[in-house]
Amino acid sequence: MKWFPSFGFQRRSRELQEEIDAHLQMAIADRVARGETAEAARQAAMREFGNIPLVQEVTGDMWGRGWLEQLGRDVRYAFRQLRKSPGFAITATAMLAVAICANSTVFSWIDGTMLRPIPGARDTGDLVSLQRGERNFSPVPPLSYLDYRDLREQNHTFSGILAYHHDWITLTGGAKPERVFIANVSANYFDVLGIKPMKGRFFLTEEEARAAPDVVLSYSLWKTRYAEDPAIVGKSIEVSRHPLTVIGVAPEGVVGAMPGLRDDLWVTLDPLGNDGWRMTHRDGGAVWLNVIGRLRPGVSRDQAAQDLDTVMRNIVAAYPDQHLGDNRISLDPMWRSPFGANGYMAATLPILLAFAVVVLLLTCANVATLTLVRFVSRRRELAIRQSLGANRIQLVRQMVLEGVVLSIVAGAVALALTTWTSKTFAWFFRASSSPGTLNGSMDHSVVIGIAVFSLLAGILCGALPAWRSSHAPAVEILKAESASISGGSSNRKLLSGLVVAQIALSLPLLLCSGLLLRTLRNLAGANPGFEQDHILTATVGLNIAGYSHDEVQLIRHKILDRVSALPGVKVASFTDWIPMTLGHKAEDAYPEGYVPHPHESLQVYHAEVAARYFESLHIPILEGREFTPDDDEKAPRVLIVDQTAARRYWPGQDPLGKNLRIWGRIFTVVGVARNSTHMFVNESPQPMVYMSFFQEGYENIVQVETEGNPADLAPAVENTLHEIDPRLPVFDVRPMRESTQLASSFAVIQSTLAGMFALIGLVLAVTGIYGVVSYRTQMRTHEIGLRVALGASRRDVLRLVLSQGVWLTGIGLAVGLAFALGLTRVIARLLYGIGANDPVTMVYVVTVLGAMSLLACYFPARRAMLRNPVTAIREL
Amino acid sequence: MSEKGHYKNRIELLQGTLDMLILQTLQWGPQHGYGIVQALRLRSGDVLQVETGSLYPALHRLERQGWVQSEWKQSESKQKARYYRITAKGKKQLASDLGRWERIVEAIGSVMYVKPEESAS
Repeated sequence: MKWFPSFGFQRRSRELQEEIDAHLQMAIADRVARGETAEAARQAAMREFGNIPLVQEVTGDMWGRGWLEQLGRDVRYAFRQLRKSPGFAITATAMLAVAICANSTVFSWIDGTMLRPIPGARDTGDLVSLQRGERNFSPVPPLSYLDYRDLREQNHTFSGILAYHHDWITLTGGAKPERVFIANVSANYFDVLGIKPMKGRFFLTEEEARAAPDVVLSYSLWKTRYAEDPAIVGKSIEVSRHPLTVIGVAPEGVVGAMPGLRDDLWVTLDPLGNDGWRMTHRDGGAVWLNVIGRLRPGVSRDQAAQDLDTVMRNIVAAYPDQHLGDNRISLDPMWRSPFGANGYMAATLPILLAFAVVVLLLTCANVATLTLVRFVSRRRELAIRQSLGANRIQLVRQMVLEGVVLSIVAGAVALALTTWTSKTFAWFFRASSSPGTLNGSMDHSVVIGIAVFSLLAGILCGALPAWRSSHAPAVEILKAESASISGGSSNRKLLSGLVVAQIALSLPLLLCSGLLLRTLRNLAGANPGFEQDHILTATVGLNIAGYSHDEVQLIRHKILDRVSALPGVKVASFTDWIPMTLGHKAEDAYPEGYVPHPHESLQVYHAEVAARYFESLHIPILEGREFTPDDDEKAPRVLIVDQTAARRYWPGQDPLGKNLRIWGRIFTVVGVARNSTHMFVNESPQPMVYMSFFQEGYENIVQVETEGNPADLAPAVENTLHEIDPRLPVFDVRPMRESTQLASSFAVIQSTLAGMFALIGLVLAVTGIYGVVSYRTQMRTHEIGLRVALGASRRDVLRLVLSQGVWLTGIGLAVGLAFALGLTRVIARLLYGIGANDPVTMVYVVTVLGAMSLLACYFPARRAMLRNPVTAIREL
Repeated sequence: MSEKGHYKNRIELLQGTLDMLILQTLQWGPQHGYGIVQALRLRSGDVLQVETGSLYPALHRLERQGWVQSEWKQSESKQKARYYRITAKGKKQLASDLGRWERIVEAIGSVMYVKPEESAS
């Protein structure tokens, strides 16, 4: 078996062979000359010469070898050693593979989301995303077009700033309207991202501010809807009943600038030239653009933020009335950009990676324990090798190599596993109205990550026992059979240390997973403040399907009438927002006559809801009235505020009849609704104002309270909508419970993975302590036999063995608790309804871990206790 | 313990002596491995039977240390064989080995052949 052939080595081997042949020929010739027969001479010469392969091998040892030959030999030796103990090899490889896979899976998720926030874009590390005003976990678009243009033109720190608005629309013209996701983008959008068209061209600078009915298709839309038409450029397609000309196709994989969300089409900011108001105002509904900038080389994020802040201050000074509230600019790197999914990713995935690293450490400690136990039983072999002239470096190298071989094999297994597990990330996200594209990715950086993880594991697993064993003096071991009774005191200490480390590492994992699981239960059990079990929602693409304003109002009324009349429907209503779906709308609101301080944020959440909305969701109106069908465009504008908003604007006063100015228009408060959950159960309450759907509503979501299971009613509702107008695009017909589960997606991810990691940790810790205690008990068989023979009772033996287990467990738990108290502080932000140092969880976890460890000690103790002392003494 | 280890032990035991014997044999002219074995046997009156498992590792080690050089040549019986030749460095080594050997023999001898009256005092 030649692993690393080398010319020098082979030439010398051949020459040695010839030399030996010559030796034999001469010996035979001499014997024949003395009168022996040829055959007898040959046999005698061979006998005299001895074992030829052995002579070759020991002679070859004298040559000294290149490092490659040396390595090849060591690797062969390592494989031979591992083959000799397949149980160890398989267990260790499997454990390492699982631990490495845990790490690489989480890493692939990070890689696929945070590290590649904008697929296809060049140097995303130079991109920053912009927020205006109070920093927010889920902000709304920060800038109007005019403000954006001023920032773009007057800054000194960016090589380019792009703007976009993400929305959805329908592709008409086909048999069935199809919903697609679209972004209105600045003309420099693709330039700033550094993306070149796969076909045709992207937008021209002069197209930005004027009507330019051009559209760029994404690769996947071009492929699925237009069958990869090679002549698509220049053709006209119908979007929302308007003809647009295809000018280009984006390269494969490009999905737009909002991390985790997909765009199918890109158009300019005002492609039809009918949105002049939005292009020429600086406040209200004209604040609609998300902004991403590319920093000039050598410019830091802070410098850039200061630069933009200066420009923004000038804008505010020039247009103070359009810039009430907080206008400070802050910038985020894309990996944690709060627009899109990365804000959530950044809060979850690094913590999971930290857990996975703990699992890896734990596994290394476990494998090191196994290796050490194995080396102790192999130490006679090692001592012989040492006395035969192998130096310490060689021995250490040999042992480290065994660890490395194990972990390379484990890494290969993990690599195979990760190609599958990296794609499981998408499972955590339910179908929803957002075009999520979240998933892990397996690319070269993940592969490199796996290699690094496994090398780390190999060195950790191999080096510690190797370093330990190489210090054992060979002479001592060879002469003293007695040393084998306890395995030497320093090895005993190291083994104990490793067991303590395993318990100490698994405790925080268990504690964190306990806390996260209870958080999940609390979230699921929490009352969001509205009814969600008997609600069905359906999105109707009314205003994107090209109807006139009057037609829209007519169809809306028809929908309410027809759906209400359906059997099984209690109440039908309209809304343009569903709570707990990771989205919200926000606007600045000012009480009439109120002059805000500069930089005072007056942002409130808002939603537009129709009559009987509160009734169907069972949200009580505490004061005043609910909306009625009469609150339409002809009636005065009205508002219902929630308790938080009422307290904020009119503390200690009756809010009814008070006026609020939003978008420069006056709204009168007619009711106060009880607080309910907007985004997450564990959010800090934000003020919410509800406006009348028939006055301000834009998106059309039919909300139905049903008598039975809402899913059963879905086909009937959908049919009714199609009966009204077959061209009506209807999407996302699903029970509200399904939609609101989106809000707990991340809690589910956290607790699922933490739970899995903790389970692995528990198994490792328990098998670790079992292995060490049973090994040590076996080493002490002779001693225990003597004790029993000298009159120790079985109970004494049990106590003797158990006591060491109890000590180790106790120390491990104490160290682990200290470690855990540090780690739980990191996850404190993720918890709900439970403290980071929750004593109940802590006691529970310590009890489980302690009990499992003791159980693991009990079995070897029992075995020792039941042993016949006579055979035990004989066995040495 | 492996056979390999057995041979290695023998090498270690004989190391200094075997090296010296080989170098001494090569003093009389280049010789191949088989020739060295025969020469040692003859000169020692069949007492020294060098095993090939010790001889070849020793020869290759001596070459690596630069005390001998080897080349392939035809023997008188037309057999192609590898001939070893002692180098200047090897001769110096032989001199120092010989000196050490003589001191050891003398030391051992003075222990073994102690006069009775001296030991009594």
